[in-house]
Amino acid sequence: MLDIEEFVVRAELTSDVVETWIEAGWLRPRRSERGAAFSAIDIARAQLIRDLKEDLGVNDEGIPIILDLVDQMHGLRRALRELCESVGVQPTDLKQRILAEVRRRRPILPNSSRADQSS
Amino acid sequence: MSDDPYKVLGVKKDATAEEIQKAYRSLAKKLHPDLNPSNKQAEEQFKVVSAAYDLLSDPQKRARFDRGEIDASGQERPQHRFYRDFADTAEHPYASSEGFSDFAEENLFSDLFRRDGHINIKMRGQDVHYRLPIEFLEAINGAIRRITLSDGSTVDVTIPAGARDGQLLRLAGKGGVGIGGGPPGDAFVEINVKPHPYFRRKGDDIHVELPVSLGEAVLGGKIAVPTTSGTVTMTVPKNSNTGTVLRLRGKGILRPDGTRGDEYITLRVVLPEAPDPELEAFVSRWGAGKEHNPRRAMEA
Repeated sequence: MLDIEEFVVRAELTSDVVETWIEAGWLRPRRSERGAAFSAIDIARAQLIRDLKEDLGVNDEGIPIILDLVDQMHGLRRALRELCESVGVQPTDLKQRILAEVRRRRPILPNSSRADQSS
Repeated sequence: MSDDPYKVLGVKKDATAEEIQKAYRSLAKKLHPDLNPSNKQAEEQFKVVSAAYDLLSDPQKRARFDRGEIDASGQERPQHRFYRDFADTAEHPYASSEGFSDFAEENLFSDLFRRDGHINIKMRGQDVHYRLPIEFLEAINGAIRRITLSDGSTVDVTIPAGARDGQLLRLAGKGGVGIGGGPPGDAFVEINVKPHPYFRRKGDDIHVELPVSLGEAVLGGKIAVPTTSGTVTMTVPKNSNTGTVLRLRGKGILRPDGTRGDEYITLRVVLPEAPDPELEAFVSRWGAGKEHNPRRAMEA
């Protein structure tokens, strides 16, 4: 855990900016007797906010929307992965039944509507 | 990482700072690892793009690169862990389950994967007990009774044929309301069977004490007998005494396997209600009747 001085150095921010971001709810450090306590997650989140603001030109209204969607996506990805893993350890016939049911629900997309993976 | 930064960003050598920033933003939007959590290549590509931008967005560094004083390598940003690298952290302070909070059709998914810190008090509602008095014949033959529950709603209770006194009928989900989205409790209806004026139940059988006249007892004949499913005709043998037990097969209680118990009829000989001079005259002339001592076994 880092206090705010350490955090400011590691995240390459000023304490004013950090205070503003906490006030806006973008950063939610833990509270200890010595004040805010930051973790490596907070550093990475601050870095993301900085990238969004400085490099990607996202304005202050856009930041919480993106953060919220990213967090939702992480929750979904995690839940989906856990579900996949849980299906994966089932007996083969049950696995096949579940996969067949999933396939049945998914419309077959034409190739043209696939996400563009070109780099 | 020694790719030409101009090629990486897709700009010309004489691109303006605005053009460089615009090119970088459009690439970064596509490649930022936190916006592409499933794309493993994105991180490497993003680093290359970021390094190129770091170099070209700094006029001094760009000038030195253009003069050949530095190459494109070594300009990479210091190693940093992306936000997505923490997505699986157990105690993630920003974790959100809002992405599937509406998957409530089955409740399964949202309950299963919800991991927000809120203490979710979720309790099944309480079971509620009711007592339902029913007539003897309703218990034997089955019935449907409408009862009013404690919340004022009514429900039709099906009393199965052969229901026993004290039997509990479960009405799933008709008990107390669940707490915090928990399932409701059940209602249990205890059946209280009222006694019948002449039918008695013993196990799966019905017992009835049947009065017969002196004439029916002495001479026998066909008589009408009540059963739980209506009146039937039965033959009383000649000389049937009080206490004689006759059986009506299959006139008892319906068993779960579809068979039925029996009805047992215990005869009770009954004299005419009013004194009958003819009967008195006959009995006083009846020699064998005087010899008969039914109390002989009692030594009286």
